[in-house]
Formats: sequence, structure tokens, C-alpha cells
Amino acid sequence: MASSSRPASDAARRGAPESVLDRLAPIMLLIGAVLVLADVVWTFTLAPLVQGAQLSEPVTIGGMQVATKLLLSQKIFYLHVPVAVASFAVMLFAAIWGVRFLMTKDRVFDMRSKTAMEVTLIFIIATMISGDLWTRFEWGVWWVWEPRLTTYFILMLLTIGYFILRNAIDDPERRARFCAVFSVVAFIDAPISFLITRMVPSSIHPVVFRTDSGLPPMMLIPFLLGLFGMFMVAFALTRLALRINAQALEVEELKEQLEEQDAWRSRAAADEALERLRMRGAAVAGADASDGATARAAGGHAEDEAAASAQQPTSGAAATTSPSSSPKED
Amino acid sequence: MDPILAEVYSTVLPAAPYVIGAYVGIWAALVAYVLILMRRAKRTRDDLGALKDALAAREERLEQ
Repeated sequence: MASSSRPASDAARRGAPESVLDRLAPIMLLIGAVLVLADVVWTFTLAPLVQGAQLSEPVTIGGMQVATKLLLSQKIFYLHVPVAVASFAVMLFAAIWGVRFLMTKDRVFDMRSKTAMEVTLIFIIATMISGDLWTRFEWGVWWVWEPRLTTYFILMLLTIGYFILRNAIDDPERRARFCAVFSVVAFIDAPISFLITRMVPSSIHPVVFRTDSGLPPMMLIPFLLGLFGMFMVAFALTRLALRINAQALEVEELKEQLEEQDAWRSRAAADEALERLRMRGAAVAGADASDGATARAAGGHAEDEAAASAQQPTSGAAATTSPSSSPKED
Repeated sequence: MDPILAEVYSTVLPAAPYVIGAYVGIWAALVAYVLILMRRAKRTRDDLGALKDALAAREERLEQ
């Protein structure tokens, strides 16, 4: 990659006042929670029980003839499916933000993609819990390697793998790049998981989204309430998490900047001290050199004098003064 | 209870714990995440306060 990611420019944007979407988040959370609550109340009061196996003989209950067993476990569907669909939707945003990061190298998109993956994981866990309880009651086992369950399980593993990958890479730029690619690749499994019940006819998992699903209005309305409610809850949670994660990232970057400043200051102080030492050393060395030169000059002068006195025998006593005594004087 | 009615509702009561478990499980996961977010927000606020204090102390030192 030619260009590096850009953390500094993002800090300003992250520190910007709340956007319209951020202000909408609490309202959406409230509306979403109310819609889901309405879904739950409708599900257990107005929505009819689904009919199961044939009875040995028909019976009349409340003026209606019933010929089959009634299934309460189907009530899980009203919340399980909306949560699962919301997990696909949030993961789509994780992939989109991953692509945006790869296009722009803006680290804010990496943070957004990570946040969306977090929310995706929560919705996947919620789907797995509810789905597994339904499987246990309806199929009598906790797990079946059935196409829908298997592909959704892979989706969960990929989402967990995303966070393992994040924690395994220290370099922020490489981490952001690898995770962006991983989020896009992981998302490929989402439509596969969604469509697998149609692609594999032998799949025993019920197909929910069909034009001929035949859901009566009393069952369709709570389902739609739950679906839109969960979308709103997912949106609100993502916005809330985005805001908190953006602030946390900003704090981390500020800490790093302060640490860098501290390191830079101590390095500058150390450099300054070293420079002072060098200058002092140079001064001492210079003084030594000038003393040596003076001494050498003095020594040379004495030699000249000695040579001159050697040429005059009358003053031989002067010549006996050893020339080597001059260094000793030094 | 009428044996036919007992047969009609034979799958209702045994399914109740699973249905309740599923609903509680979904809400528990969502609430747990909200709690995690709240804790993270509090930690971020604390860190921000500590950073502000550190910056103030640093500026004070520089002024001296």
C-alpha cells in the first residue's frame, strides 16, 4: 500500500459535536424497544398458536375445531428471525465500512467496521441462543449439522476470528487493512447463510422469507413489528457504540501523543546534555592542545638556545643544562 | 383434564421453558452489550479526566 492510514485528521472529526444520527439514536432505541415489546405482547396474546401433529380425534376449543396439536415453540420465531436478519444487516455495514477504509485509508472507517462487527457478534449470539433452544425442543437435539445452522455457525466463527485477528496484530495500519479485508470476506457468508435453505432443498430449517409464506395478518404483524423494532435497536446500538468507541480511540491517540511528546522531550534533553558534554570535551581538548603547542614552542626555543651555546665554548656551562629538562618543566 | 385437550396442549407446557429461555437469552445478550458499552463509556470518561489533569500539570510545569 502506498499511503498510510490517517489518524490525525479523524480525531477532529470524531471530536465534532453529535451528528443528527447520534441524536436520533436514543429515540430510535426507545421506538425500537417499544416495537419489540409490542411484538412480544402481540405474540403471546393475539397471534394464534401454530398447528403441529394430527390429533387422534378433533376437538372444539373456544368455538373453533382443532384437529392438531398446538406448538408454543414457534413463538421463538417472532424474535429469533428479526435478530438474525439484523445481524446480517449490521454485518453488511461492517463490510461497507471495511471497503471504505480500503478506499480512503481513513482510520475512522476501521473503527466503524470494528464497531459494526461487535454489534454483529452480539446479534449472532442472541440468534444462536434462541435458535438452539428452538432446535432442542423441536428436533430433540442441541445441534444438527444442517446447512442453515452450519453456515450461520461459520458466520459466528468468522466474526470471532475477526476479533482474534485484531488482537493479533500490533501495527495499527496493518491491523486496519487486514481486518477490513477480513470483514469483507466474512460478509460473503451472510447471503449464503440467508439463501442456503432455498439453495439446498434437503435443508430441514424452515424457509421464512417466501412470497407464499401464508402468514395470516395476526402472525405477520407481530413479526414485522419485531423486524423493524430489531432494526431500530441494532441501528441505535451501533450509533451508541460508534460514539463510545470513537471517544475511546481518541483518548488512546491522545495518550500516545502525550507519550510521544514525553519521549521526544526526554530525548531532546538527553541530546542537549550530550551536546554540552561534547562542547566541554572539545573545550578541554582545545585547552590541552594549546598548552601542548605552547610547551612545544617553549621546548623548541630552548633547543635553539642550547645549539647556540654549543657553538660558543666559553659559555659551555649553559650547554650542560639539559634540553630534556624543558618538557619536565611542562 | 380431558385427554383430547391434554393431547392438544401436550407440546405447549413442555415448550414454555425453551420459549422463555429464548426470549430471555436474546434480551440478556443485548442488555449485556449495553452494560459493556456503559462501562467502556465510563472508563473513557475517567481516562479523559486523567488526561486533562496530566495536561494541566504539564502546562503548570512549563509555566514555572
